[in-house]
Amino acid sequence: MEVADGGTAGIATEVWPHRTPTRLAGVAACSIPEFLHSTPMSSIVVRDLTKVYGDLSVVDPLTLDIETGSFVSLIGPSGCGKTTLMRVIAGLEPASSGEVMVDGAPPATARSHKRVAMVPQQPGLLPWRTVEANARLLLDVNRRENPEAADDPVNLLREVGLGDFLHAYPHELSGGMQQRVALVRALALHAPLLVMDEPFAALDEITRAEMRVILARLVEGRAATVLFITHSIAEAVALSDRVLVSSPRPSRVVADITVDLPRPRPDDVEDDPRFVALCAQVRHALHGGRV
Amino acid sequence: MIRRLAAPVVGILVFLGVWELVVRLNDVRPFVLRAPSRIVAYLWEHAADYAAAAWVTAQHAFFGSVIALLVALVVGSMMAASRFAEHATQPVLTLLQVTPFVAYIGSVVLWLGSGTRPALFIVALVCMPAFTFATVDGMRSADPATRELLASVDASRWEVLWRLRLPSALPSLFTAARYNVGLALIAAYLVEGGNFANEGLGAIGKRAAALNEGDALWAAVFAMALLGTFSLIALSLVQRVVLRWHVSQRPPRPNWD
Ligand SMILES: Nc1ncnc2c1ncn2[C@@H]1O[C@H](COP(=O)(O)OP(=O)(O)O)[C@@H](O)[C@H]1O
Ligand SMILES: [Mg+2]
Repeated sequence: MEVADGGTAGIATEVWPHRTPTRLAGVAACSIPEFLHSTPMSSIVVRDLTKVYGDLSVVDPLTLDIETGSFVSLIGPSGCGKTTLMRVIAGLEPASSGEVMVDGAPPATARSHKRVAMVPQQPGLLPWRTVEANARLLLDVNRRENPEAADDPVNLLREVGLGDFLHAYPHELSGGMQQRVALVRALALHAPLLVMDEPFAALDEITRAEMRVILARLVEGRAATVLFITHSIAEAVALSDRVLVSSPRPSRVVADITVDLPRPRPDDVEDDPRFVALCAQVRHALHGGRV
Repeated sequence: MIRRLAAPVVGILVFLGVWELVVRLNDVRPFVLRAPSRIVAYLWEHAADYAAAAWVTAQHAFFGSVIALLVALVVGSMMAASRFAEHATQPVLTLLQVTPFVAYIGSVVLWLGSGTRPALFIVALVCMPAFTFATVDGMRSADPATRELLASVDASRWEVLWRLRLPSALPSLFTAARYNVGLALIAAYLVEGGNFANEGLGAIGKRAAALNEGDALWAAVFAMALLGTFSLIALSLVQRVVLRWHVSQRPPRPNWD
């Protein structure tokens, strides 16, 4: 998988045919814009995206392509624009220029159809809702767009070890437990796209390792595409099919590293020499530009 | 629980005891200051009259506050949503808060007639500002991360209001309610005294003052105090249930204070 070059710049927004995301898989080739032919199965397509806040350029022309069903990590130094990129993809912030397609539609459309499930950096649980009610929060709003095959949040909560805490309030949970509720809340939406913004950044090393295993197990066997933002190299390599490395602000993809470790990955994957080599590769890319 | 109830009772008994002692030891004449024992005895003797009047006053204060709360929720939601609405409404609310409402009770009675209507109107009017400011502050305090999460699934404004903003405003609304209890009761009392319906503790107090019946007047004051105390206890109980998730309702950690 190559980082796409800038050759697709200048494609006008009007050429996008409006398609409902659910029909994407069966769409005939003729209705797909020219440059998508190489990657017809992409869930997230970003072309020459820039984002500026006033004079501050946060995202440089950034281009990326994430295939449906893959788990892709984006790693980069703090403040480089990762959260901004995620907010643009989730349709919460307009791009300054360039194009973004999410699940075959502009981000705003994907957002209104509940196609993107977000796990923010802070769990953002509602203190007056029980664990179970918090896990249902995203299903409780904009119900018309709920998928037919939504998972029962209660089963998911049991799966992540919160079966005894269904009726507890967030303040009765540890940080790791709260973040597990946030994970379940996103997964229960059964969205084709899962974007997570450093979901484990506030957790201690031990809890983080546990959460990594829980997350791997939860997304294993799901068709969802995952964009996982992190600043932990080991986390990125252990979880992903691909690791994208961003430059310092403004954000630009400087390396695209395929992680070909077989799945399912054992819990001791970190001892694998290939894992160690991949981590080194990511580290060099982070600190020294292109590998 | 018994300990919690015991403390305020002890406090009140000590206060009344000191009062009683001051009156008896200094032989204060009754028209200057009455002994609490005498007031309580009078109140006890006319318990049925005072209970009936207190019930009327309680209803005026309660329903007036409910109207104030409903209006405040609507006005506050608009103010929280738009800075222009906030800046346009704020001076009017402040004006309402600082004007002595006693001055225009007469006009309101002339306008709305006697009885329940002017009482509800004035109580609602004076309680509205605090509820409105509490609504605005509470709604603005809603967690922006959760707001964004709801936006990520395109929750409607109404859903955000109902699921996030209103519950976020509950703690500050209870604080405002605590402050408004006293205000609502005083307003009800004064309107009852200022109209011709002859109902409520305010009417008893007004007539007693006009006829120079000190015992009856002071009994009305005591009845008001009792009513206020019960109202605050009731409010605390409701608060404990509704805000059971809130920091303010958790037991303190041992040995911290
Ligand atoms: N709403 C905003 N207004 C102005 N500047 C912003 C805004 N959001 C983010 N930024 C700036 O953009 C830069 C990147 O932020 P962010 O995307 O949060 O970085 P990261 O998530 O990679 O740590 C930061 O320098 C931040 O100050
Ligand atoms: Mg960030």
